[in-house]
Amino acid sequence: MAPKKGPSNDRDVDVEDRFQAVVLTDSFETRFMPLTADKPRCLLPLANTPLIEYTLEFLANAGVNEVYLTCSSHASQIDEYIENSKWNLPWSPFKVTTILSPEARSVGDVMRDLDNRGIITGDFIMVSGDVVTNIDISKMIEFHRKMHAQDKDHIATMCLSEATEYYKTRTFEPAAFILDKNTNRCIYYQDLPLISSQEKGAVQIDPELLDSVDEFSIRNDLIDCRIDICTPHVPPIFQDNFDYQSLRTDFVRGVISSDILGKNIYAYITNDYATRVESWQSYDTISKDFIGRWCYPLVLENNMQYDQTYSYESRHIYKENNVVLAQSCKIGKCTAIGSGTRIGEGTKIENSIIGRNCRISEGITIKDSFIWDNSVIGDNSTIDHSIVATGAKLGSNVTLRDGCIIGFDVVIDNGMDIPIGSKISSKPVKSLGSSTFDLEEEDEDEEVNTLSTELVGQNGVGYLYDSDASDDEEESYGIHTISNRLAHQLEELYMSDASISSITKRKKKKRTMSSNSMYTDREDVDSDEDDEEDFEAEGIATIERALENNHDIDTALLELNTLRMSMNVTYHEVRTVTVIALVKRVYHFISTQTLGPKDAVHKVFNQWGDLFKRQAFEPSEFVDLMNIIMDAVVDENFEKPDLILFGAFTSLYDNDILEEDVIYTWWDNVSQDPRYDGVKVLIAKWVEWLRTADEESSDEDDDSEED
Amino acid sequence: MSTQNIPALLHNNSNAVTEIEISIDAFIAKLKRKQISGSYVIALETLQLLKRFLSAARWNHVNELIAQIRELGNRLEKANPTAFSCGNVIRRILAVLRDEIEEDMRESSAAQGSSAGVGGSTVANTAAEPLISSMFNLLQMPGQSTQEFYEPKAKTKTDFRQVVIQGIKDLIDEIKNIDDGIQQIAIDLIHDHEILLTPTPESKTVLKFLIRARERANRTFTVLVTEGFPNNTENAHEFAKKLAEHDIETIIIPDSAVFALMSRVGKVIIGTKTVFINGGSIVSSAGVSSVCECAREFKTPVFAVAGLYKLSPLYPFNVDKFVEFGGSQHILPRMDPRNRLDTINKITDYVPPENIDIYITNIGGFAPSFIYRIAWDNYKQTDVHLDEKKM
Repeated sequence: MAPKKGPSNDRDVDVEDRFQAVVLTDSFETRFMPLTADKPRCLLPLANTPLIEYTLEFLANAGVNEVYLTCSSHASQIDEYIENSKWNLPWSPFKVTTILSPEARSVGDVMRDLDNRGIITGDFIMVSGDVVTNIDISKMIEFHRKMHAQDKDHIATMCLSEATEYYKTRTFEPAAFILDKNTNRCIYYQDLPLISSQEKGAVQIDPELLDSVDEFSIRNDLIDCRIDICTPHVPPIFQDNFDYQSLRTDFVRGVISSDILGKNIYAYITNDYATRVESWQSYDTISKDFIGRWCYPLVLENNMQYDQTYSYESRHIYKENNVVLAQSCKIGKCTAIGSGTRIGEGTKIENSIIGRNCRISEGITIKDSFIWDNSVIGDNSTIDHSIVATGAKLGSNVTLRDGCIIGFDVVIDNGMDIPIGSKISSKPVKSLGSSTFDLEEEDEDEEVNTLSTELVGQNGVGYLYDSDASDDEEESYGIHTISNRLAHQLEELYMSDASISSITKRKKKKRTMSSNSMYTDREDVDSDEDDEEDFEAEGIATIERALENNHDIDTALLELNTLRMSMNVTYHEVRTVTVIALVKRVYHFISTQTLGPKDAVHKVFNQWGDLFKRQAFEPSEFVDLMNIIMDAVVDENFEKPDLILFGAFTSLYDNDILEEDVIYTWWDNVSQDPRYDGVKVLIAKWVEWLRTADEESSDEDDDSEED
Repeated sequence: MSTQNIPALLHNNSNAVTEIEISIDAFIAKLKRKQISGSYVIALETLQLLKRFLSAARWNHVNELIAQIRELGNRLEKANPTAFSCGNVIRRILAVLRDEIEEDMRESSAAQGSSAGVGGSTVANTAAEPLISSMFNLLQMPGQSTQEFYEPKAKTKTDFRQVVIQGIKDLIDEIKNIDDGIQQIAIDLIHDHEILLTPTPESKTVLKFLIRARERANRTFTVLVTEGFPNNTENAHEFAKKLAEHDIETIIIPDSAVFALMSRVGKVIIGTKTVFINGGSIVSSAGVSSVCECAREFKTPVFAVAGLYKLSPLYPFNVDKFVEFGGSQHILPRMDPRNRLDTINKITDYVPPENIDIYITNIGGFAPSFIYRIAWDNYKQTDVHLDEKKM
C-alpha cells in the first residue's frame, strides 16, 4: 500500500503498517427468513458461491492486510467456514480473524465491541458481509486521503454508487443524501419510505446545516452499498453514543447533525457496480447482474473458490465440469450449472442458476429460478421465479409459482401446487436465541407449528413460514408481502420513479408536511392502507394541535387547507375532521369536568365555529355540515347528546354561520334513522321555535328550552 | 458446500510452504482478477515467477521437475484461460528443458553404448528428432513417443536448474527485443504515400512498427485507426495522438466506415494476442475479424505482427472458449434484469487464417499455413495439453 499522504497525525505509523477491514456479517434483519434460521445470510449462495466470498474477494482486491469478521448469529458456522476456506491458507492475501459477539443486537453493539477490543489502529474499511462490487477501491482511498488532508474533522467516507434511470429497484432502504456540491461532504442524510409504500417522504433540513454551504445537491439516486472507509475515531463515537444502533440512520445522521462532535462524513460517488444483497429482490437482481456480466471483471468463470471449474459460453451460459445434460434438454440464456448436476430429457432451463449435484429429471421447466446444491426435482415440474434451497426434494408434477421459497431439506409431495409467494421451511422456525429472531418469540403461534400438509402433500415435510408475523420493519402490511417476494412483481407495484405520478392520480393522495408537524409524522407510521383515513387522522391531529396550542383560526385554516390540497380531498372530508376534532374537544372538557356540557359546547363552537365559514359555501354544504355534526355527536356517545347538538347548532346560528333557511332545509330532509331520534328531541323544538320566531318576528326567551 | 477442496498439492507440502507458494497464489489471484493484462507483461511476469519457482523447486529426477513445471503451467492456464502467453512461455521453457535432457541422454548413452548398450535408449534418440523428416515418421502416433518420460536410471551430470534458468533469461531477452526484430521488416513493407489501416490501436508492436517506418525510412504515409467502440476507444485516441506526435498523418474512423474506406487502403496491419497453430489468431479488439473479412473482400493484404512468444501450440477447436467476453456495464446503462437487453461484449476476436496474408514475427515473415512448422520448432507436442496427467 502506498504510504499515507496528508498531514502527519498521531497515528500515522500504524496506518502505513497495515490496512484493516471490518466485515459485518450480521445485518440484524430478518429479510431472508426462513432460510436464515439455518444459515447466516453471508453464507447463502449467490450464483453458487457463498456471499461472503464476494466481500472477501473485494477486500483482497483492495489490498487489505487484516480482516475482522464480526459474527453474531450463527457465528460458529461462519467461523467454521472461514477456517476451511482459502482465506485461512498461509498465502491468503490477508489475515482473517473472526470476532464472535453473540450478544450483539445491532451494528452499534458490534462497533462498541470492536472499540472495547482495541483492534482498530488506523483507517479501516467497513463493509457488510453481503456486498457484491467491482469498484476500484484505490480511487476511493485516494479520495479519502485527499479529503482527510483538507479537512481535519473528516472521519468517514461512504461509497455510493450511482443508479441509472433505468434501474428501478435501487435499494431496499432508500435514502436521500444531501451533499455539498464541491466537496461531496454529506450535509444531511434521511431515510425515505419505499417508493412502493405509497407514502410520501419529506426531507426536513435544519437551515443551520446549510449555512456554510454554497451549493448542495439532494440525491436519491444513490445506491448505498455500505462500503465505508473510517478513521479510528469512528468506534469511539459509537461508544460515546450508546444509543446508536444502525450505521446510517443513527450514526451518519447523528454525526453530521451534531454540533458537539463537529465531525464530517464524505461521500465517494462511483458509477461502478456496487450493491448489497439485502432482500430477496436484490438477491434476484444481483444474481442476474452477475450472470449477465454487469460487474465484470468479477464474473463467475473467475472461479473464486478453489474447486470451481466454471467456463463461459456465449449467451451467458456457465457450466462447470461434470455436468450431465440429456440430449433433448434446452439450456437457455443466462444460466449457470454446477458440477455433478444431471439434467433429464426435455427439460428447459432459462435465466436460472442450478447448484451442484442436483438431480433434475425429465420434462421440467425452470425459469428465473435459483436451485441450490443437492436438490432433487421430479418429472414434469414447473418452477417459476422461485428459490429451492439446498437439499430440498420436489416430487413430480409440482408447480412452484412466483416467489416461492422452499427451505433447506423441505420435501414436497407429487402433484402439489404451491401458491404465489409461499415460504416453506423444513422445521418450524423458532427463535434461535439470537437478536435477529427476537420477534418470532412473541409471534410464534400455533399456526406456524403445524405441518402444512395442504401445501407439501401427505408425504411432504415442510412448514409454512408466516413472514408477516416476524418482520420487524416498520412498513405497513402491504409492503411486507411485497418485500418478501422476488423482484418479479415489482413493476406492478410502482417501484419506479416514472410511476409516482400514476400512484398519485390513482390514489388521489399526496402529502406535504409542514416543518412543525411532528405530530403528523408520528401519525404517518401508524396510518395504513386507506388514504381517507390518513387524512382523517392527520386532519384531526392538526385541529387538535390548533385547539391545544390556541392557534389563531387563520393558521389552523391554512394548515388544513394545505393538507386538503396535498391529499386532494374534498371539503366534505375537511368538515368531517373539523367537526370530529371539535366534538372530541367538547367531550374532553366534559369528561375531565373542566366545564359543564353547555359551557363546553359554547366555548368550543363559539371560538372555532368560524372555521366552517371557510369550509362550507353553498347552502347544501351547510346542510351537509349539520349532518356531520349530528353524526359526530351521536358517535361520541355523550351522556346528553341532544344537549350537545343543540348547543352546537345554536352557537353556530348565533355566530351567523348557519342561516335559518339552511336549518329549515336540513330539518326537512333530516334522516329518519332511529339512532338519531335521541338527539333530535331538542332540535325539533328549536326548529319549531325558529320558525315561529321567524314568522312572528318576535323574541322569545330560549332559556326555558334548555335544561 | 462450506468446505472447499483445495488442491492436494498445496496440502502435501504444507510443512514446506514457502514464499514461492505465496507468490504463485498471488499471481494466480491477479490473473483471475485481471489485474495484470497485456500478453507482454503477463509473459514476462510468468517467466519471473518461473525463475523463482525453479530456484525453490526440489526434485530427485528431472521427470519430477517436468511434472512440477507442468503443474504450475496448468494452474496458471486454469486461472485465466485467455491469458495464453502464460502457457506459451512455460511450454517454451519445457521444450528447452526436454532438448537439454535429450542431449544429455544421447551423450550418456553414447558413453554407455560402448560398454553395455541398452536398446531402449537408442529408440529414444531416433524419436527425439524434432521435425518430421521422413514418410515413416509421419505414420507415427504423435505424442506417443518415448520422449515424454525419461528413464530414471541415467545419472545426469548436467545441472538442469542452471539450464532452465539460462533458458528463461534467454527468453526474457528475446521477448524484450521482439520489437527490434519486427521493425527491421517494417521498412520494406511500407511504401511512400500509402494508406494503412489498423484496427488494433492498443498494440505496442504496431505502434513501434509504424513509428519506425516513419523515422528510419522517412516514409510519408497515412494511418487510419478504427475507433474500437466500446472497449478500445480510449486506446484508439491515445494511439492516434502518439502517431501524430511523430508526424504521421492519422485519422480516426468509426468502426462502421471500414467497408467504405477499404478500397482506398493499401494494407491492413493488425497486432495479435495469440497466434494458434492453424494460423488463426486472437486479436485484442472486437471487430477486427470483420475488418479482416472486409479486407479480403477488397483483396487488401492483411499483415499481422506478432512476437514469437505469442505463438501458441493450441488449436482453436472451440473459438468461444478462447475469446474473452467482457462486461456489459459500459455498453448500456444499468437496467433491471426483468426487462433489459442481454449484451454480449467480446473483448477479443478471432481472425481465421484465411483472412490473414502474412505474419510478421521477430524471426521473419511467414504465411499462416506455415505457422505450425514454427510452432513445432519451439514447442514439444507432449506439452500441448498441460492438464493431461502423465503416468
